[in-house]
Amino acid sequence: MQHEEPERSAASIIEFCRFARDNGLPIGVQQTLDAVEVAKTIGAADREELALALRAALTSSKEEWDWFNELFEIFWSASQRTQESTSEESKEARFSTHRPQASSRATLAQSANEATSADREGKDVSGASAQQRLQTVDLSDVPGDDLAALEQISARLFRKMSLRLSRRHRIQNVADHVDVRRTIRRSIPRGGDPIDLAFHGKKPRKQLLVIFLDVSGSMNSYSLFLVRFAYALQKYFRNVHTFLFSTNVVEISDLLRNRDLSVALRGLSGRAAGWAGGTKIGESLKEFNLRRGGKLLSRNTVFIILSDGWDTGEPAALAAELRKIRRRVQKLIWLNPLLGLEEYAPVTRGMSAALPHVNVFAAAHNLQSLLALERYL
Amino acid sequence: MTASPKAPDDKGITDVDNLAQRFERLGYITDRGLATAVYLVTKLRKPLLIEGQAGLGKTEVAKTLAAMLGTRLIRLQCYDGLDVNSAVYEWNYQKQLLAIKIEEKTEQTVEEKEKHIFGREFLLERPLLQSILAEDASPVLLIDEIDRADEAFEAFLLELLSDFQITVPEMGTIKAKYVPYVILTSNRTRELSDALKRRCFYHWIDYPSFEKEMKIVRARLPGIAEQLNEQVVSFVHAVRQLDLIKPPGVTETLDCAQSAMTLGKQRLDVQAVEETLGCVVKSQEDSAKLKAAGIEKMLS
Repeated sequence: MQHEEPERSAASIIEFCRFARDNGLPIGVQQTLDAVEVAKTIGAADREELALALRAALTSSKEEWDWFNELFEIFWSASQRTQESTSEESKEARFSTHRPQASSRATLAQSANEATSADREGKDVSGASAQQRLQTVDLSDVPGDDLAALEQISARLFRKMSLRLSRRHRIQNVADHVDVRRTIRRSIPRGGDPIDLAFHGKKPRKQLLVIFLDVSGSMNSYSLFLVRFAYALQKYFRNVHTFLFSTNVVEISDLLRNRDLSVALRGLSGRAAGWAGGTKIGESLKEFNLRRGGKLLSRNTVFIILSDGWDTGEPAALAAELRKIRRRVQKLIWLNPLLGLEEYAPVTRGMSAALPHVNVFAAAHNLQSLLALERYL
Repeated sequence: MTASPKAPDDKGITDVDNLAQRFERLGYITDRGLATAVYLVTKLRKPLLIEGQAGLGKTEVAKTLAAMLGTRLIRLQCYDGLDVNSAVYEWNYQKQLLAIKIEEKTEQTVEEKEKHIFGREFLLERPLLQSILAEDASPVLLIDEIDRADEAFEAFLLELLSDFQITVPEMGTIKAKYVPYVILTSNRTRELSDALKRRCFYHWIDYPSFEKEMKIVRARLPGIAEQLNEQVVSFVHAVRQLDLIKPPGVTETLDCAQSAMTLGKQRLDVQAVEETLGCVVKSQEDSAKLKAAGIEKMLS
């Protein structure tokens, strides 16, 4: 086992940690130290043992867990080949074949990839007037050079909005404390001793957000932006559940829980693949009501649906499902990007059937309109 | 790493394989990854976060660890709205008031009375405080389903896991004599805070392989016929391929096997499955889906 020793040395562990950090695992100084200590603790074990021990110390989610296995393989097998520290080029070359490929079938992933890679290269946004312009540009029609800038601004603004919203909730959380007046009243039948304590109101229950996005045809680019919106809210509003629908419904809340937005967006194409044909809003809502409605629709739920209202199903069915939802939730918000058009009036069968059951009917065609949602949440 | 005045007592666990064997003797089949993680917990006293779907044996790890070390298991079940009072301590107000009334006529000074009122006999010790008050050996502290508690609680927990001391204003600061082994479990219904995750070792529990699951059934139900075991496990594996809302975990496999044994079945046929359907699927929709997929087909 002598030839295993150099691998276990503190220096090589540290280098591995640096390699892992450069390739996506968030490993700080403390964790590097932990990793060295862990390696020392398991002593002269075989390579598999070392991998398992380092994995326990350096990862903290399922995704990082999986990714770690690949990184470890690449790093240590490369280092076995050369005696001194490995060449960066050989590592990088092998690496490109292992890194999860972006599938580019659905439009969702396509534009997502372009946007986020451009975002990484993009410079700071210039000037207030550019910002103004970008806030009002229609989301289905963003010129290529503006895409990265729009990404940046929207990420920043959504983040601020989410913080404001979550802070609002925290302030409203009145702590349980003794209501002295009522306690004294209750002590009267007890001979003056405050045996029965009375408390101030319970903590208000947290708000739950359900976002239902139409991803058929022309709705795609609007929905993509709303996914970013959902992603930002997701981080600060614990209870956000996001669904995509067209002919079927699929939940993407778990994807959005990823720390990295681009990874989340890549995963979307896999989820929503193979959907063709007309939109079935009513049916999708029905499926949602059946499967998830029980748990998710409650008095503190805000239900947001983004769709242009073009339904190939029965308008009566759509109305019925919306009525079910409206009865149970705090607020039902319908976002329609067509409201951004001046001449639009909701006269299609689907939209007009839906309208009476909706609390708030608002536009969602550009960044400005999305930010305006804050007052409804 | 932690401020522990006593040296850790690891009851002679020599290496990872040794630990795995001891777990197996207690009826818990581990894989090398989990055994390694638990081994590191016993040696380095860092907490362990176990994530995974429901019913895969996350809670069992803590129970088995406590049994292996011959020490107490203290369990804190988390839920939405769990606060410090329910988790750490609370004063027994009623008892205190009665004690005051009783002591009214005695000769003691006010200071003495106050000291008595705020003594340990009037303190309701909840799990977290219990875990640091252990008198003779390090207990195992299981914090179950931490993802159901909120961020405020996580922040408090983080502090506790760093110092292992709790301040009761009327009594002073209580430091742990024996630092507990801490295991946290999560069903991943939400993302935990980074700080908490970085504080712990991490293990992801996945559905077991065919052989492993059969081994688990054999360990938990010693009398089971091999053929029945194989059929049950293969059936559950097939059910997991369906897109159920609640896929069956290992708990469900064991339930199904046990039910079949109790009903005196030697093999798993369509009738047996229908009779024990509630063991494997847990809702109307899932039951319908299973039937639609064809029980007959999945048993072959």
